[in-house]
Amino acid sequence: MNTLDLFALLPLIILTTSIILVMLVIAFARNLALTCLLCCIGLASTLLSIAWVGSSADSGYVTPLILVDAYSTLFSGLIVAAGIFISLISYSYLKHRGENQDEFILLLMLSTLGAVTLAHSAHFVSFILGLELVGVSLYAMISYPSKGLFGLEAALKYLILSGVSSAFILFGAAMMFAVLGTLSFSEMASSAQAQSTIEHWFILIGTTMVLAGIGFKLSLVPFHMWTPDVYEGAPAPATALLATISKGGIFAALLRFFLSFDGYQYNLITESLFWIAILSIVIGNVLALMQTKIKRVLAYSSIAHLGYLMVAFVSASILSGKQLAIEASIFFLFAYFITTIGAFGVVAIMSCESQGSDKDEISHYQGLFWRRPLLAAFFSAMLLSLAGIPLTLGFVGKFYIVAAGVESELWALLVAVVIGSGIGLFYYLRIIFSMTTHTDSDEPIAIPATGGWALGTLAFLLVYLGVYPTQVVDWVSSVAKSMI
Amino acid sequence: MGEAVAIPMTHGLLLAAMLFSIGLLGVLVRRNIILILMSLEVMLNACGLAFIVAGAHWGIADGQIMFMFILSIAAAEVSIALGLLLQVHRRFRSLDIDQASGMRG
Repeated sequence: MNTLDLFALLPLIILTTSIILVMLVIAFARNLALTCLLCCIGLASTLLSIAWVGSSADSGYVTPLILVDAYSTLFSGLIVAAGIFISLISYSYLKHRGENQDEFILLLMLSTLGAVTLAHSAHFVSFILGLELVGVSLYAMISYPSKGLFGLEAALKYLILSGVSSAFILFGAAMMFAVLGTLSFSEMASSAQAQSTIEHWFILIGTTMVLAGIGFKLSLVPFHMWTPDVYEGAPAPATALLATISKGGIFAALLRFFLSFDGYQYNLITESLFWIAILSIVIGNVLALMQTKIKRVLAYSSIAHLGYLMVAFVSASILSGKQLAIEASIFFLFAYFITTIGAFGVVAIMSCESQGSDKDEISHYQGLFWRRPLLAAFFSAMLLSLAGIPLTLGFVGKFYIVAAGVESELWALLVAVVIGSGIGLFYYLRIIFSMTTHTDSDEPIAIPATGGWALGTLAFLLVYLGVYPTQVVDWVSSVAKSMI
Repeated sequence: MGEAVAIPMTHGLLLAAMLFSIGLLGVLVRRNIILILMSLEVMLNACGLAFIVAGAHWGIADGQIMFMFILSIAAAEVSIALGLLLQVHRRFRSLDIDQASGMRG
């Protein structure tokens, strides 16, 4: 390992160092504001180093485990930026929740590190390590701040199911390793050629098991059962992290695995991904209609959104549409990050004065436009973006998905996207309508400064980038071009 | 001493697959949280066995290294799980997973 390698690893080194620093500071002085400040400084300097390394270092492998290139730069930048926003929101959320909440911030940084590792991974070892780092920190985050029973139940459910899905991924990887004799994604691709029939089946079953495990973590139908319960029981900032950083990191690794291993060559797998996408969109949207709690609505809507993402993922199987499909999935994920953090951020801000579980009944939000117009406007912007209304980032993202589907001529998937968006409009608008109705309750809602500013920035980005997406589009398309 | 007979890779993988299935079945049918965690451990170790068998077949150390990672991952997972388990026992006075199932919808 030489200086150049160390330079390429700079983001990971800075992030790890700041985690250790925060851990030591917590041991000596428990102060939530200080911990949060250090966390934000650490994450911000990581972001700067990612930009620096991305602009000056050559792309290449640093040890066989880590691949630093434009793709990993983009994803780790996105993940770390999301980490900053979530830590700001968590600060406001945790401030009134009693003593000893500092470790939540530490766990947040650890799972960010895991997701950054996932974005860099080009080998099953780094993939599994990143995956578990995200997962194990999340178990603790889900049950940590709330003293309620739901948090505990959610953590237990997530722990067992996530453990099972990790075991599936590991066993699938072991089967592929048995046939191919390597764990690196790109070497796997070269030895996957010219195999006998039985070895071919080994690879097929192995890839299917890996995909089933990843499907659990991304909460795709039919592996989605845990999603609403975990989303409901977890504290809102942890849910935001689970929905964005965790899923984003795993998707980054999945896309890298599929592109370098060329998993699309197996028709059976592409076919089943096709059905998974359709089922996720339809079932996610239909079940969201029946929910009365905002977090459950958002949980089912995230199942549907991952379904939209899979549309782009499947579109990448057609060679002519590959570049556009990669571009679409990255851009859609970008829009999904901003929107989802914003939506859960509003739930977190609404519940930051309550001691028990989060305020997530739709009735809590009744008349929000009259009581807190700005917060209601932010929330409406997020919901409209989730629904894919023009002038928001969500619209550009969905437009991209449709374009990718058209380019690859997957008409059945496009029909599902259109039907899903139609149903989606109904339950997003229901929440917005409920916010406009009058209510007699004049219970004051305090908006804490840090969380409020974070939400404001997200809402601004949502609309600004929705109107002028050119810069992001250029960046994303140059990354997609480098992946072909 | 006779010449050592190598165990074919398929036998080892078959054993690992059987252990994996037993673990999965345990997670699905057991209702006691401790037994669920034990079954989970069986699943993870079955993966470790599969890695070692495959690594021995190719004569490379990758499989064993992966096993060490699996060991540490399983340890981390179990330590959090036992922490949660204590909480569950304190709150619900029971280790039955069905007791801890309040959310519906």
